[in-house]
Amino acid sequence: MNETVQDRRWLALTPTLMAIAGVVLLLLPLRLFGGFVPTPIIPLAVIFFWSLYEPDFIPYPIVFLIGLLQDFLTGGTVGVWASVYLFSQWLILQQRKYFLGREQHVVWLGFSIIVAVISVIIWLEQSLLTRTLLPYMASLWQWVVTIAIYPLLSIAFSFLHKRAIMEEE
Amino acid sequence: MEILGQFRREGLGRRENRRLGLIFLMALSFSMVLFSLFGARASVFEKAREALLDISEPVLSVLGSPIRWVDARFGDLSDYFNVLDENKRLREENSELRAWMHEAITLQRQLDYFRGVLGVELPEPADYVDALVIGEVDTPFQRSMILNAGARQGVENGFAVVQDAGMVGHVVTTGKSASRILLLTDPSSRTPVVVEGAELEAILVGRSRGQPALTFFAIRDPEGLEAGQRVVTSGAGGVLPRGIPIGEIADISDDGVRVKLFANYAGTDFVRVVKYRFQPDLTQVENNGADGTPSAGPSADEGGNE
Repeated sequence: MNETVQDRRWLALTPTLMAIAGVVLLLLPLRLFGGFVPTPIIPLAVIFFWSLYEPDFIPYPIVFLIGLLQDFLTGGTVGVWASVYLFSQWLILQQRKYFLGREQHVVWLGFSIIVAVISVIIWLEQSLLTRTLLPYMASLWQWVVTIAIYPLLSIAFSFLHKRAIMEEE
Repeated sequence: MEILGQFRREGLGRRENRRLGLIFLMALSFSMVLFSLFGARASVFEKAREALLDISEPVLSVLGSPIRWVDARFGDLSDYFNVLDENKRLREENSELRAWMHEAITLQRQLDYFRGVLGVELPEPADYVDALVIGEVDTPFQRSMILNAGARQGVENGFAVVQDAGMVGHVVTTGKSASRILLLTDPSSRTPVVVEGAELEAILVGRSRGQPALTFFAIRDPEGLEAGQRVVTSGAGGVLPRGIPIGEIADISDDGVRVKLFANYAGTDFVRVVKYRFQPDLTQVENNGADGTPSAGPSADEGGNE
């Protein structure tokens, strides 16, 4: 019993670690396909998946810290990504009951909608901060890539999640 | 039953706590946004950024090396297939450059002669710091790079960063062993430039993934502007040296003037940081000159409030 609790505690760290890895990945000069494909925003996928299936593993303070880390490391205005990630988690938790037990493509659609909402918020926030109306289309590609990569990530996350549940039982 | 009720109450309390926590954290992040807007650069955040930059430097260097290795192999592969075309192109370019070299030597001689005649006092030639790009931020509306050179190597905030083709950006955060540069395409990037040929002063404004746009000082039709004209730094404000090539005018429309950058960001691995300090002494020398007209005054004051 005691041992499984210990294991679960370690597994509870996986979303946090993966989100941090996602932030680091955003910093690496990956330049996929000659810089044509921007790096997907993996922390958002991590927050989405784990908030849906195991919200206890990724509480608000952790989401806040992940956002803050991204803000500091990407050199942007501090608090922008923190607030955006918090808001997206709140959105997901509101809709959690609907998505639980649904088929994967419905969940994917849900992720796309959340990403669309977040992209508009980021665009508005950055436009306000720079006091100019930024071209929205400029960032669209990155969001498309983020949505496109979600199914792959969700398969990987499901594997980890199943392990977490098995340890629990 | 009693136990169930207690459970429910506790569950409710927990949920309430979570909501309060969310509201608190949201308020905290919004106040952070406001604070970083009005607290300017020298805030606690800037210190935190510098510290995190230094911490991330070894991590990014290590993680980046396999990426660079793979990139180099892919580069080799495509080089192998293009070797004949590339050779032909380089041969042509080489003969063209040779002609330019002779012209440059002649011009340099002439310039030296005129300088000797006029007795011009020249600023010290700029010093460079070579650096490797270990990180690149590519989130929507944020375009920056992380270099593996910092204050220890003599990098300072505001220094221009160039690549063989042209300017890349300027340093905004300097840690001990790493620094962050804001690319010309970042929406918050503003660079004083001059359009050669039209001799128009302008500000280059980043537009994220699109081509940067030019904003002109004077409210009048920017006359004499043509596609293909070279855009270089103007040196207004005294932060950047004058004459660093940036790009050429790509498109003139009602939306504004767009600039095609010379620098190719996707291929930027090595860069040079230009150590430049504005030398106000030169203005003094000219002001105390024979005719006494403060000729160099305006250019130094122009962007002084930036």
